[in-house]
Amino acid sequence: MFESQIAPTYHLEPSEEQESDFILNLGPQHPGTHGVLRVILHMDGEYILTADPVLGYGHRMQEKIAENMTWAQVLPYMARMDYLSALSYNQAWVCLVEKMCGYEVPPRAEYIRVLTTELNRISSHLLWFGAFLLDLGAFTPFLHAFEDREKLLDLLETITGSRLTYCFFRFGGVGADVDATFLRETQEFLDQMRAHLPGYHELVTGNVIFEHRTKNVGVILPFDTSGYGLSGPVLRGSGEAYDVRVKEPYSIYPELKFNVPVEQTGDCMGRYLVRLAEIDESLNMIDQILANIPDGDIQAKVPKIIKPPEGEASMAVETPRGELMIYAVSDGTKIPYRVKYRVPSFANLSIFSKMARGQLLADALAILGSLDLVIPEIDR
Amino acid sequence: MSLIETTLQKLDVPAEQLDYAKTGIHARLSITSDQLQKICRTLKAAGFFLETITAVDDLAEGTMRGVWFFDHYSESSRLQIVIESSRDNTVFPTIGMIYPGAVWHERETAEFFDITFEGSKDSRGLLLPLDVTFHPLRKDFKRPKHQIAGIH
Repeated sequence: MFESQIAPTYHLEPSEEQESDFILNLGPQHPGTHGVLRVILHMDGEYILTADPVLGYGHRMQEKIAENMTWAQVLPYMARMDYLSALSYNQAWVCLVEKMCGYEVPPRAEYIRVLTTELNRISSHLLWFGAFLLDLGAFTPFLHAFEDREKLLDLLETITGSRLTYCFFRFGGVGADVDATFLRETQEFLDQMRAHLPGYHELVTGNVIFEHRTKNVGVILPFDTSGYGLSGPVLRGSGEAYDVRVKEPYSIYPELKFNVPVEQTGDCMGRYLVRLAEIDESLNMIDQILANIPDGDIQAKVPKIIKPPEGEASMAVETPRGELMIYAVSDGTKIPYRVKYRVPSFANLSIFSKMARGQLLADALAILGSLDLVIPEIDR
Repeated sequence: MSLIETTLQKLDVPAEQLDYAKTGIHARLSITSDQLQKICRTLKAAGFFLETITAVDDLAEGTMRGVWFFDHYSESSRLQIVIESSRDNTVFPTIGMIYPGAVWHERETAEFFDITFEGSKDSRGLLLPLDVTFHPLRKDFKRPKHQIAGIH
């Protein structure tokens, strides 16, 4: 287990004993790696002997950047880490600062936060759905997913002002109120998405080729999950019902009724089914929010200059990819002393070397796709 | 009794219970280097998963604090392990043989802070270019001058 992952340097020479083995350089610009990820594969014919991911092509030292900014100035950088779930990252940062400073958030703002975050989660899963099927060679599902996602981005653009790298939440509230038009359009989207979801299953889930490509491919055993710190759909596809929204509830999640989808198989198919079920759960959550959203303020009164008291705190949220935990140390000044981002994709990718060993190259791409990686989040 | 309390009893090291509502951390263990691997074995057997490994460079006190975070899938019980060490030639033991996912976290922390994880089978960097000689998250780090002419 240990040796397979580790090589003392980046080997680019095949060993002398076996003549059939060779080194294959996958990435950093390969479409299957979804970003600038490079994997050095030691191959025996079509089979992988070892896989060694090389990270850092998109490294920006976000943690050092945070040490040179005020607490408020860090907020826009959040969206640049995981660009597919920027609002989850927004939420983690504002909740962390609110926790440290003891700010109260008005209920309407909390509802708007969860409403937009769940819409963001659906758009992230839809992009993953399209891109994963594209990895497996199916082009049509991508177009269906992007058509629905486009409507979501339009919807979110009307209140957040941007389409991808949102900076919408504020300390103690949100940046803008939702109006009746937005709520009506959200309801329309819900109806449309509910009508389309069975079509996704019809088109893909029962497809024979898809089943052969995903069933029993890239199995993660429950035994391995805690050792690698997995979280999110990757973990829930292996039978562990861990969701930060349930286990460590924040915002208004305790008031919402939703299930945590779990699959026992641990393969690519399991992770696929978990994500599609999560789209459905998010739709249910948005339904409840639309029915119960209270009137009132959207912004609490907070000081202009944020100075959390001396000490340290952590805040965990559930992003579409898993558990994001931010650990911050404050020295009582307006600049964070130390910020650490525990990002979900980082831990989820670390098990890839173990999963890829002995697999076919084509299956390794299916495994990479099923992990739902966002490389700028890993590289930070 | 909550999971964190039973675990702390099993560990048998002095622990500090923190205010979860304010810090998001249930308990903190301040230990020495030689206790780490034994504690991690107990945690692994109890089903804790590794959240992250990092360090905090405290320039004012002249210490480097290694920080390990663990949590549990079945019940929220965030556990922080802290080892204090000197800023120069900082050495912490690896937990890569207990938590294989720790290897990446250790590689990252090692290159950012100039820390050695003793016993680690992989001492390569992770995120920085292979040839860098600086450690950006140390508080006395000064940004190197641009070496490419014409780019400012």
